[in-house]
Amino acid sequence: MATLRLNGIHKRYPNGITALHGIDLSVADGELIVVVGPSGCGKSTLLRTVAGLESISDGELMINEQRVNALEPAERDIAMVFQNYALYPHMSVFDNMAYALKNRGTPKDEIRRRVTDTARLLDLAELLDRRPRHLSGGQRQRVAMGRAIVREPQVFLFDEPLSNLDAKLRVQMRLEIRRLQKRLGITSVYVTHDQVEAMTLADRLVVMNGGHVEQCGTPMMLYAQPATRFVASFLGSPAMNFLPVTAHRDGVVLPNGVEVALPDMLSEGRAATLGIRPEHLVEATSMADAAAVLDVTVEMLEPLGADTLAYTRLPGLEEWLVVRLDGAHAAREGQRLSLAFAVAHCHVFDSQGARVPLAEPETQACQ
Amino acid sequence: MQYRRPGLDRLSHALLALCCLLFLLPVWLAFTASTHTLGALYSQTASLWFGEAGWDNYRHLLSGSFGGLGTDVLTLLINSTIMALGIAIGKIAISVLAAYAIVFFRFPFRRLCFWLIFITLMLPVEVRILPTFEVVADLGLLDSYAGLILPLIASATATFLMRQFFLTVPPELVEAARIDGAGPWRFLRDILLPLSKTNLAALFVIMFLYGWNQYLWPLLITNDADYLTIVVSLKRLLTSTDGLVPWQNVTTTAVLAMLPPVAVILLMQRYFVKGLVDSEK
Repeated sequence: MATLRLNGIHKRYPNGITALHGIDLSVADGELIVVVGPSGCGKSTLLRTVAGLESISDGELMINEQRVNALEPAERDIAMVFQNYALYPHMSVFDNMAYALKNRGTPKDEIRRRVTDTARLLDLAELLDRRPRHLSGGQRQRVAMGRAIVREPQVFLFDEPLSNLDAKLRVQMRLEIRRLQKRLGITSVYVTHDQVEAMTLADRLVVMNGGHVEQCGTPMMLYAQPATRFVASFLGSPAMNFLPVTAHRDGVVLPNGVEVALPDMLSEGRAATLGIRPEHLVEATSMADAAAVLDVTVEMLEPLGADTLAYTRLPGLEEWLVVRLDGAHAAREGQRLSLAFAVAHCHVFDSQGARVPLAEPETQACQ
Repeated sequence: MQYRRPGLDRLSHALLALCCLLFLLPVWLAFTASTHTLGALYSQTASLWFGEAGWDNYRHLLSGSFGGLGTDVLTLLINSTIMALGIAIGKIAISVLAAYAIVFFRFPFRRLCFWLIFITLMLPVEVRILPTFEVVADLGLLDSYAGLILPLIASATATFLMRQFFLTVPPELVEAARIDGAGPWRFLRDILLPLSKTNLAALFVIMFLYGWNQYLWPLLITNDADYLTIVVSLKRLLTSTDGLVPWQNVTTTAVLAMLPPVAVILLMQRYFVKGLVDSEK
């Protein structure tokens, strides 16, 4: 059992590119941290520096409060699950799982016991003699997990382990990973670009962008109170609606003149962005104390079954306004709707993209 | 490509058969000639069929020294085998290690090292044969197995081929091995070499044939009959007697000289086919 702590981790490549600009993160024992971000944001680099596959340019990496910067990957007592599994193609499933133990000089009978136990845990007992190429994608994935689990490492590292699976298997393996991680209680760092995976798996979520941590906290906190416009746009599907606004005496004004009553928080005349999630736009008739009412025209509908997504147009605005309607809603394309939203569901970001607090912010640092 | 034209099919098969015949003809001639007596070989035009002295020729050849070479054919075969094996194994060992270093390790002037090795491809043995002879003579390696093998043991071709193969090994495999606690030697032994099996088999065949067919170098550095190789002896047989060339001995030796390479190819072919049928990657 272990804790993991990153203090100001920098990664600079010899060609002058800086991939990580001082990452601070502390992972509690048994916690599952998901690092999420668009490609090129440095999340994989972060994982690889923790693994020891990349050197650390600056900063400290502590496992159990022991500085491990200079240790080889094998000495850090971590296990990693790779995106393409990286199973040894010429070895049987058993040998794949046993290889790390063998290299550590574990006695033969203990290797056998641990591999068979892990295989049973992962439903691989029947496959131990097979070669990786004779396995399906899901089975290979489980072998890759097994190879990590069998070592009983201090820290698990997952590098987009589900991105090579088809959608159905991905959902299934997601639950499986969650179940195993809770059951084994191993401290884990999980990297993904898939925000659904991130939201569902994480105890805490770290959103990265351009080598920085944008925000860090529980998935629901990040969803409800995104610290930056980037986090707001990255989490949630369909993405949050962003409307350009100008600060006003009693709130903000949309380009078409509609006023939104908000607590006083920006000096008058400043440009800002108002964010509203699609599910927070409701029909005006069902809301008493709306911050504002928007009259829109439905241009396109996407029925998803439980919900219907309506792509609507607000006069005077270029952007779509996406609304999540009930699946039973009788909206038609071309129809006019009056949409309202509550003050509590408004997100305001200044011109730099930082959140402008409307109420007392709930703070949660990464440390 | 497959065209639905029966005429074309027949034509291409006929061409193929003709080419096979052309390739086989010299081998067949040597084989049949090795079963005639010397008298028969000199008294008649080239016979395309077996003579009556087949077993006698081979028995005579295998039973003792012949043709004034001062050695027997078994020694020749053993010498050739030692040289060919030494060259093949040595070349593979060196090229695997060189390619391993070039592909998987980061060190200064790595690229330069690769190009230096690569440039030696442009210098065939014949070009550097005199300086090499000088060096080998100074080292006192004339008339020795080491002298036969060592100068031919470094191979840019094999290094290049192994490098190209190593470059196709996914980097994640290297990283997984690092995390699994496999150091450089373990990674080479447990992962890289097993993955290279089919490539190594192919290289071995090519290099064995290369070593077996060496002519100029062994001719230069061996005077002692104990280190004569079978390929060189063939030429010596043609000139060693005062009177008639013992053609029945020459052809018999030639047939014997063909057997080990054929055996190596047949043996290794199983690995090729296995490699093709159940690819490890």
